[in-house]
Amino acid sequence: MTQPQLASTPAPHLKADMRISTAMRDVMIALLPISLMAIYFYRGYALLLIAVCLVTAAVTEVIFRKLLQKPISLNDGSALLTGLFVALLYSATTVWWTAAIATFIGIGIGKELMGGLGWNRFNPALFGYVTVFLLAPFLPFLNVDYTPWEVGVVSQATPLVMMHQGMEMPAWWELFVGFQGSGAMAELSPLSLLLGAAYLFYRKHIYWQTPLSILATVFVLTLLFGENPLMHLITGGLILGAFYMATDWVTSPITGKGKVIFGVSIGLLIVLFRLGLPPTEGVAFSILIMNAFVPLIEKLTKHPSFSEPKQASAL
Amino acid sequence: MEVKTFKSGAHIPHYKSYTEDKPITRLSSPKEVIIPLLQHMGAPCEPLVKVGDKVKIGQKIGESEELFSAPVHASVSGTVTAIEPRTVPTGDKDDCIVIEADDGPQEFEMKQVRDPETVTVEEYRECVREGGLVGMGGAALPTHVQTSPRQPVDTLLLNGAECEPFLTCDHRLMVEKAEELIKGAELKMKSIGASKTLIGIEVNKPDAIEAINKIIEGRDDMEVVPLAVKYPQGFKSHMIKAATGRDVPRGARSAELGCIVRNVGTTVAAYEATIYDKPLIERIITVSGPRVTKPGNYIIKIGTPLAHVLKECGVEELEGHKVVNGGPMTGLAQVDLNAPVVKNTTGVLVLPPEMIPEEGFTDCVRCGKCVERCPVYLYPNHISTFSEAYLLEEAEEWDIMDCIECGICAYSCVANRPIVQMIKKAKQKIQKKHKAKQ
Repeated sequence: MTQPQLASTPAPHLKADMRISTAMRDVMIALLPISLMAIYFYRGYALLLIAVCLVTAAVTEVIFRKLLQKPISLNDGSALLTGLFVALLYSATTVWWTAAIATFIGIGIGKELMGGLGWNRFNPALFGYVTVFLLAPFLPFLNVDYTPWEVGVVSQATPLVMMHQGMEMPAWWELFVGFQGSGAMAELSPLSLLLGAAYLFYRKHIYWQTPLSILATVFVLTLLFGENPLMHLITGGLILGAFYMATDWVTSPITGKGKVIFGVSIGLLIVLFRLGLPPTEGVAFSILIMNAFVPLIEKLTKHPSFSEPKQASAL
Repeated sequence: MEVKTFKSGAHIPHYKSYTEDKPITRLSSPKEVIIPLLQHMGAPCEPLVKVGDKVKIGQKIGESEELFSAPVHASVSGTVTAIEPRTVPTGDKDDCIVIEADDGPQEFEMKQVRDPETVTVEEYRECVREGGLVGMGGAALPTHVQTSPRQPVDTLLLNGAECEPFLTCDHRLMVEKAEELIKGAELKMKSIGASKTLIGIEVNKPDAIEAINKIIEGRDDMEVVPLAVKYPQGFKSHMIKAATGRDVPRGARSAELGCIVRNVGTTVAAYEATIYDKPLIERIITVSGPRVTKPGNYIIKIGTPLAHVLKECGVEELEGHKVVNGGPMTGLAQVDLNAPVVKNTTGVLVLPPEMIPEEGFTDCVRCGKCVERCPVYLYPNHISTFSEAYLLEEAEEWDIMDCIECGICAYSCVANRPIVQMIKKAKQKIQKKHKAKQ
């Protein structure tokens, strides 16, 4: 037998199919129902915003990685996913450059300048979104009223604001299935988000600990404070935050115990923001704040090695 | 049926259907065998023959005076044609004795020389040592070293988990040689003074469990422990934990935990060495792969070149394929088909190009799969990042030295990081550093 050229990469010689790109693609798939809902309600406005954010995301990533002399990594899909997230964090009638700037900041500064995917301490989409939110009072062009064409979009108070001001609320099922006045595109249909989340559970991309501990904490605390806990669960960014943002691999704790601590803390902060402070952006702030504590949580929850000698029982 | 296991680990597609129903058959004897002088953990043998010598099948041809060593034997009758460095399964060139087979019969004659009922512990130990027995499940530790434990041992634990995908040689051995296995276990129990034998078998081998249960029916000193089908169930530490519930702290030898773990193949080989004076000159090897025309569980002579094995099994196209000596999770990718099979070769696998994982990796994205699955409860994510950056002290703090190199982390990594490779390299560096300090 003549000696053929053999492949000789080291063990293990088998690999699971899951790659970063598969996971990112799956999250995009999970976001399909809510994106379609947004497009259904807001038509061209939603399409424009999503398209602008996707393009900005891709362009930003390419620019920064070129500048940092790193290989282009658009294939892993993480930049596009961040773009989609940013778009969904905005209401459809937001002026497009505001969302584009948030995407640029999220990916350029929040991710690439922090070392790239894996090294970013904060969820890039939330980082970009909140940065713009904090800058907006000083930069008026971020708040331009922008309605280039008519699409029967009603501008009204979001359910969270309505709840805060004791206004009469729409029926819970309407809020749950799809409610046009819900503010951010991602907030207009908790049902669509949960459908996507079910897919993510099924594909084992997310685990129950984080979302469940956030939801349970919010539920119990709002109940204790005499609020309607169900309304709190289905309004605002809570579902998006609990199932999609706080479960981000890079910026959340790895172990089950850590995920629970992380989730309960986020839940606490959310209730604090919602009941004690102006009711907007509580979820985003809460998650970003806890992102910063992930290394500490991991240190505190480190489990011992299989080989660690057990403490001798008291004699 | 209570199925035991350990925490963590993972289910890996097991690809055993190619060969799990294939009875053990004998592969043709090769024209030439290449017998490495080092096929075990420990000191290499010194050759006892020289070029031109005639040797007989089963004749001892290499030996060492060190305790941590095991002699090697001629697996064919014929003439020594060379004693020189040849490619071995690790890819290195090590000293080997090359024997050209003669035209006579090449099968070892199985003649009973001792009675299993009357053989003494001393005779058994001597036969195991003289027969060149090593752990045939992969570790290749000289078997006689552990046949005389200093601590009292209550349990003999037979390892029939065979948790690596593709491999079915232990499975078939348990089905077809259950009687020899149990007789071998009796000898071993006597030699270590154990009162009980547990036989750990993953439940994907119901016929093996049944075959053994039939023989040990009514005995209260032997018991099959059904184990969950999970990788790496067959690693020694995890076998002990699952079957006996005992913790396996770092540095503890299994004898200190009151049990000795023994691969089922080794147990049968030790029995044959004692009763028939048959040294370890051949073993059952699973030859498998999706495109192998004649996959199976073959008795193959130690020293048989891979090229001969593959040709006999109908493998023709190999360009771009991967040939693995051992299981797909921990086995060695071969670079040279002239390399021989050795005492701890459990499988010869041919993986076609589409099964070979792509190369190239990115930074850890902290998905947590490796932490979730690590059977030693380590943080392969941190350890690999530390190892990559040569932060050896940090890697040690995160217990890198406890790693059993099972490969589950690299198997699971979504960033395709060669985590085990990084860990192995860092471990070697750390060991060197510690040695230098001493």
